[in-house]
Amino acid sequence: MQTTSRTRATGPAVARSEAAVVVRDLHVHFGDFAAVRGIDLDVRRGEVFALLGTNGAGKTTTLEVLEGFRRRTRGTVSVLGLDPAVDRAALQRRIGVQLQDGGFVDELTVQETLALWQQLVERPDRPERLLARFELCGRRDVPVGKLSGGEKRRLDLALAVWGSPELVVLDEPTTGLDPESRRRTWDAIQELQEAGRTVVLTTHYLEEAEALADRVAIMHAGRVAVAGTLGEIVSARPAGFSATLPAELAEIPALTGRVERTGDRVRVHTPDLQGDLTRFLGWAAERGVRLADLRAAPASLADVYHAVRAESEELP
Amino acid sequence: MTTATTAAASRSGAGRALALAAVEVRTVLRNRTTAVTSIVVPTGLGLFWAVTVGAPDPEGATAVVALQLAVVLAMSVYVTATQTLVARRQARVLKRMQTTSLSDTEVLIGTLAPCLVLGIAQLAVFAVVDVAAGVPLPVDVLPLVVAVVGGLALVVTAAVATSIVTPSPERAQITTLPLVFVLLGGAFVLSVAPVGTVWQALVVVPGAAVGQLAQLAMTGTTWGPGLGGVPAVLPALAATAVWPVVLGAAARRRFRWDPRH
Repeated sequence: MQTTSRTRATGPAVARSEAAVVVRDLHVHFGDFAAVRGIDLDVRRGEVFALLGTNGAGKTTTLEVLEGFRRRTRGTVSVLGLDPAVDRAALQRRIGVQLQDGGFVDELTVQETLALWQQLVERPDRPERLLARFELCGRRDVPVGKLSGGEKRRLDLALAVWGSPELVVLDEPTTGLDPESRRRTWDAIQELQEAGRTVVLTTHYLEEAEALADRVAIMHAGRVAVAGTLGEIVSARPAGFSATLPAELAEIPALTGRVERTGDRVRVHTPDLQGDLTRFLGWAAERGVRLADLRAAPASLADVYHAVRAESEELP
Repeated sequence: MTTATTAAASRSGAGRALALAAVEVRTVLRNRTTAVTSIVVPTGLGLFWAVTVGAPDPEGATAVVALQLAVVLAMSVYVTATQTLVARRQARVLKRMQTTSLSDTEVLIGTLAPCLVLGIAQLAVFAVVDVAAGVPLPVDVLPLVVAVVGGLALVVTAAVATSIVTPSPERAQITTLPLVFVLLGGAFVLSVAPVGTVWQALVVVPGAAVGQLAQLAMTGTTWGPGLGGVPAVLPALAATAVWPVVLGAAARRRFRWDPRH
């Protein structure tokens, strides 16, 4: 699969310093069930912000509160300076929303759907532009109900970006897409960011967050477990290195990290990668040991994600 | 910027609701099942009654008018509106429409307006057919107008309320049955039962007042004494006004835009 460049245009510096979304102590309850349990979020203008989490983590509910579709039980929410619960009509003029699924009248063709949008959305745009941008020109006369899953998601994204809104909210934009369709969606999201738009998206895919997001929040069981830039999140977790040792070497030097040994294979999880790795390499050099398969890496987003899940499940 | 794009931006709320309603009409016409159940069946029933029952018998003519009104309200408007709302909610179209510049009220108006227009068009067809079949004209047209307007308000609010307890369009065929039976039965009984008898108490049943109003219109006894000496039209007017308010309040409190949760 073609990888998407991590180098992104970031929009005007002044615009980026302003908050697009500010959430404080957000709670959403459905009867006795607490879907969101006191989260804080900050999304800056011009950035791509990814909400990660398992099914039922509270991502979609959080998005619905930001969009003004769901009443919060407690907390404060500001989106583009407006309270979505109070100013939904004004907010709708400034944001574009991609639903997690569905939302189409299957009997309408692609062209008719875009023509309807032209009548229903105050932000001006042209169906032809979006048909061309999302490669749907050849499918314009096909009823939406007969489109493939990937084509529907492209049409969905076209409706979300209609009229180039200030904030685009995408709920799992690439779920169920093949790699090529996913790459096209990533390209479209990067174009939005290059145009200075703010994007808030939810996703199950860690590589998607790594490829697209300036900042990430990982939700689990209605709470934000960690949030920040990828660098901040990853650096707060133990890095690791591993190597295969000769069988006759039973002992290795004292290290600050946790050592796992499986046969000849040694794996070290450490908060001090540089220090432990230096000690380990020095020890090996003194003994003339050749380290087969030596690998060292910082924690990945996947490591963080799985650690968050594990830690959350240990809580009472 | 093109003319089309500026026109879109300047469209009013009513214009946007109309655009959505036009799409709904197109959808009904493209969906054969909906077209048959909401257009062909009620129209066929109404025509059958007009031709076979109506004509010279004044009591029969009253029953025909009441049944035509009831079948349009119950089947063409109530059942179709409920199915449409539930189908649009299940497909998340209602939610999608909320992401546009439409207000919630405009989404509902745009979605339900075609059902109303369809019902009114069928009533117009029945009026022409009834005249052709020799059914006498109403002596006092006002109760009939009230029956049409109040009946439409009743079934539209009932459709929104029924959608709350209807998880799928298929289930709407079951959840709408109670009101359909009550409306058809109540309207028929009250259209033929003598004014002032105990049967008139049925006017409290939702939709039955339509039959009472049709009878008063056809006989011209709008302000004549009814049960307990109270003018028969008053309980019918009260029921016609109260039920939409009750159902509308329930709908406002519990209506769901999204199949989730």
